[in-house]
Amino acid sequence: MRVPISWLREYVPFDLPLAELAERLSIASAEVEGIERRGVPDVDGNLGLFRVGRVLEAGKHPNADRLQLCQVDVGEGTPRQIVCGAWNFGPGATVAVALPGAVLPNGVKLAPTKLRGEESNGMILAEDEVELGADHSGIMVLADGVEPGTPLADVLPLVEDIVVVESTGNRPDLLSIYGLAREVSALCDVDLAPPPGRDPACTNEDRVDVRVDDFAGCPRYIGRLFRDVRLAASPPWLRTRLSDAGMRPISNVVDITNYVMLALGNPLHAFDLDTLAGGRIVVRRASSGERMRTLDGVDRELTPDDLMIADAERSVAIAGIMGGEATEIAEGTTNVLLEAANFEPYGIFRTSERLRLRTEGSNRWEKGVDPHLAPRAAALATELIAELAGARWTGDVDVHDDLPAQPVVRFRPRRADELIGVSTPPAQQRALLSRLGFDVDDERVTVPTWRSRDVTREVDIVEEIARFRLPDVPFTLPVRREMFGQLSADQRLRRRVEDVLVGLGFSEVYTPSLVETDGDAAALRLEEPISVELALLRTELLPSLIEAARRNLELGNSRIALFEIARVYQPSGGQLPVERVHVAAVTEGGYARAKGILDALGASLHGELAVAAVPNRLFHPSRAARGGAGIVGELHPTLLGGGPWGALELDLELLLESVHEPVVYQDVSTYPAVRQDLAFVVDADLPAGELFAAARDAGAPELREIRFLSDYRDPPIPPGKKSLAFSVAFQTDDRTLTDEDARTLRRRVIDALARRFGAELRG
Amino acid sequence: MNAKPEHSEAVTVAAVDAAALQDEALAALGCAATPAEVGELRTRYLGRKSDLKQALRNVRDRDTGMTLNAVRERLEAAFAEREAELERAALDVALATDGFDVTLPGDELAVGTLHPVTQVRRIVEDAFLGLGYEVRDDREVETVEYNFDKLGFAPTHSSRSPRDTFFLDHDTVLRTETSPSQIHHLESRTPPVYMVSIGRVYRRDAITPTRFPIFHQFEGLAVDRGLTLADLKGTLLHVMRALFGPQRRVRFRTHFFPFTEPSMEPDVSCPICDGAGCRTCKHSGWIELGGSGMVDPVVFQNVGLDPEEWSGFAFGCGLERSAQLRHGISEIRPLWSPDLRVLRQF
Repeated sequence: MRVPISWLREYVPFDLPLAELAERLSIASAEVEGIERRGVPDVDGNLGLFRVGRVLEAGKHPNADRLQLCQVDVGEGTPRQIVCGAWNFGPGATVAVALPGAVLPNGVKLAPTKLRGEESNGMILAEDEVELGADHSGIMVLADGVEPGTPLADVLPLVEDIVVVESTGNRPDLLSIYGLAREVSALCDVDLAPPPGRDPACTNEDRVDVRVDDFAGCPRYIGRLFRDVRLAASPPWLRTRLSDAGMRPISNVVDITNYVMLALGNPLHAFDLDTLAGGRIVVRRASSGERMRTLDGVDRELTPDDLMIADAERSVAIAGIMGGEATEIAEGTTNVLLEAANFEPYGIFRTSERLRLRTEGSNRWEKGVDPHLAPRAAALATELIAELAGARWTGDVDVHDDLPAQPVVRFRPRRADELIGVSTPPAQQRALLSRLGFDVDDERVTVPTWRSRDVTREVDIVEEIARFRLPDVPFTLPVRREMFGQLSADQRLRRRVEDVLVGLGFSEVYTPSLVETDGDAAALRLEEPISVELALLRTELLPSLIEAARRNLELGNSRIALFEIARVYQPSGGQLPVERVHVAAVTEGGYARAKGILDALGASLHGELAVAAVPNRLFHPSRAARGGAGIVGELHPTLLGGGPWGALELDLELLLESVHEPVVYQDVSTYPAVRQDLAFVVDADLPAGELFAAARDAGAPELREIRFLSDYRDPPIPPGKKSLAFSVAFQTDDRTLTDEDARTLRRRVIDALARRFGAELRG
Repeated sequence: MNAKPEHSEAVTVAAVDAAALQDEALAALGCAATPAEVGELRTRYLGRKSDLKQALRNVRDRDTGMTLNAVRERLEAAFAEREAELERAALDVALATDGFDVTLPGDELAVGTLHPVTQVRRIVEDAFLGLGYEVRDDREVETVEYNFDKLGFAPTHSSRSPRDTFFLDHDTVLRTETSPSQIHHLESRTPPVYMVSIGRVYRRDAITPTRFPIFHQFEGLAVDRGLTLADLKGTLLHVMRALFGPQRRVRFRTHFFPFTEPSMEPDVSCPICDGAGCRTCKHSGWIELGGSGMVDPVVFQNVGLDPEEWSGFAFGCGLERSAQLRHGISEIRPLWSPDLRVLRQF
């Protein structure tokens, strides 16, 4: 919300420097996002060069059809001749004048000049030229009755500081200047002015026909009739306040509804009474399939969930959100029905949500506006409509159900001290609460109606104290007796995997968990993704990593090795997917490289990560394997250029299952090992892993190590066969093996492999 | 060097003064500058025709023999030592002059890197472990009940809108903050509890240079008897200093969160300008870093705890934002980049 400071001061005359006020507001009330200054530069007496003037003569410039030549009294005795391009005034008009030497907000310094041969000693100002608004259709015509020569700054806010405040969703009361003034009053300990607006007399000549069918959606509806409304542009002060607050001035009646909303926080709406069928208002839900064209020219389809303002025949406004085009205040409007109502937040939220239509009004209603605010808002609006549009107030009705009572909350001042951790004397607590509108009576606090949604419990009162004490709260740490912290086994494993992969040269990358396509056709899909690229919850990490590797290839990066640890989301058939933490890696180098990484992981985790050939769509058809914790292999050659590429993806939880911790120490044998090389001819499709496992079984416990040497398939090895060579080491812990021992062990291995696989020992 | 005696064949046992001979030989050895010179001297003093050897051959009495043998052993050791010394010096000279350049690069070994967000995650984990907290990593797909209802989100809270939150169906969302962990943790433990939850969260934001709909948060929760807002302030100060250096200051601004009351946003003094004001802190000297507050009684009631007995605090903060501040990264993009030129900087 944009808060013009002169407006704020009207309600609370604080004298703190603005920067300090902004900081205090930010800490205790609502964040100040910035302070802007707009208007005429206030330096070197510049403001004194802006005066009120009275036009004495005005006529066509002798040498230019589009210019006026004016004589203007600016309080100097002799009038000044000023050439002006606007025609929206004549002799007698009170205008705003800048004298030569004046510096305008855009930095231009005025000088006496000649325009088409006529002297011009000043400038008659339009509102945009002094940043009082955006209008440049004519010059500003001021109210009569101000003496020529009066400093313009006395009449118009030539300089304004605007504080931009962003309040939180629980404080709809801070979406108004008066609400913020109340905070300032507590922050600076300055009295708050009474709320603005006092009802003038009502002629009561008209009955206002308002019927509320749905008090749950509309707890209160005040309707007021005005006749003989003179619709016109608002006076400069009002236009300027609105434009400083970020709203566009439209016409006096509409501007007044917006002004009251900004001042007090209660959105209002004005209807052209003569366009309301039967001159009546009915508050009801929309009928099924009902349509209405809103002020923004959009035809909207409504549902029975939407609260509507209707006349005798049709809907004329979407309650609290936007009025209808057919009944809006427009040129020719002379009779007005003013709505000062109260709407229930959740319904407004649902409708505005479904229609994707957010307005200044809906934004306030959905946060919950005080139903006791409506009469005040009506009073201020009525006063202004009578004053600025010359209207007569001819009818009044206030339809409401039982309005909520003010909450009364038990409050113990020591409870505030206990929770805040710094002591605040009860008298100070009471003073603060009272500035904020709370009634304190011993341990009972009556909450003001504008806070009754937000403050319902003792702890909410504690917050009211706390927010004013935040800078004084000390820094302490909890005194703990029963807790200690340590990483869990899976958290330690995750760090270990990260460290091992980094040590092996991999760089960690983060990729989005939302993807465009996934290997699992049942992968979960978002209802409303922000793009097709981020639409599915991935069930595997590898495709994302392959994409990351591809990107690096395109960038010309070398030695590409990437890994990621993240969750995957496997459809479970139930409401929630099964989430697993995976690690995936992609690296230059083929199958052996990937398998080497897997083996290195296994070795450093002290786990067993045996694999068997299992095809996978991402991998080379003959170079894909699966083990207990996941998959490893050489990527399919069509996936990435510059190959071969190795890759793996493992489930960390399954990986943890294969880890044996802590490691059990084995004494190192002091007796020498006997090493022998063996080569066997076996069927070409026998996995080496099976052969080694069988050899290990047969040679146990003396067989301590098997080291792969070669896989040979050329002649003289017959087709369909291969020769697998490996070396073995035999060793015991209690003696040196004799040649005889070694021969026996070797024979055990050879016989076992021959029996199991028909393996033939080579030469 | 001493002149060689002309009449060596005339040497008799009595003519050899063992002590003088030893002194002479050691003195000569001390002057030898090369292994070759040591060789020459060895021939002269210990060779077959040397005075010492001749005297040994001719010795007749036991005492003289022992004396001469001792001299011979001493000299042999001295010669060996001197020779080794000179050989090593000659080798060093030869090695030192092979023109080797020590400033050439070493073998290019593969070195990987941890992602900066992981580095921040570890700093945060370690800081909290040091304070005695457990670390949690919870599910990212959540029920509306745990993501909103049990945390006290009003039915009108804007986060419940499918414009702000990713829905999988009417009752299922991608968690919008790590806060559901508070409920999971309190439902599975009895207080006191000290816990920090770290992981991915999702907001339905358009992708801009500074925003990405997926990011990471850490969120701490402490529930114990007698915890105060001052304890929260002190805890945050500790963690902010762990992340951004020991000079950091922390302040609170009032705020609103459904699941804390009172609620505050913590600011940390800008680590770039140390509070003087710069572009990073928008000239305020302070950086906004997430949310915090005292656990709302609603949360306690939703997990069956008595708010009169237990109090607690909670706070959350973005890992990406922390990493950006630590490393001077002004946009979010580098943190999602697969480019090794980016990743290898960390």
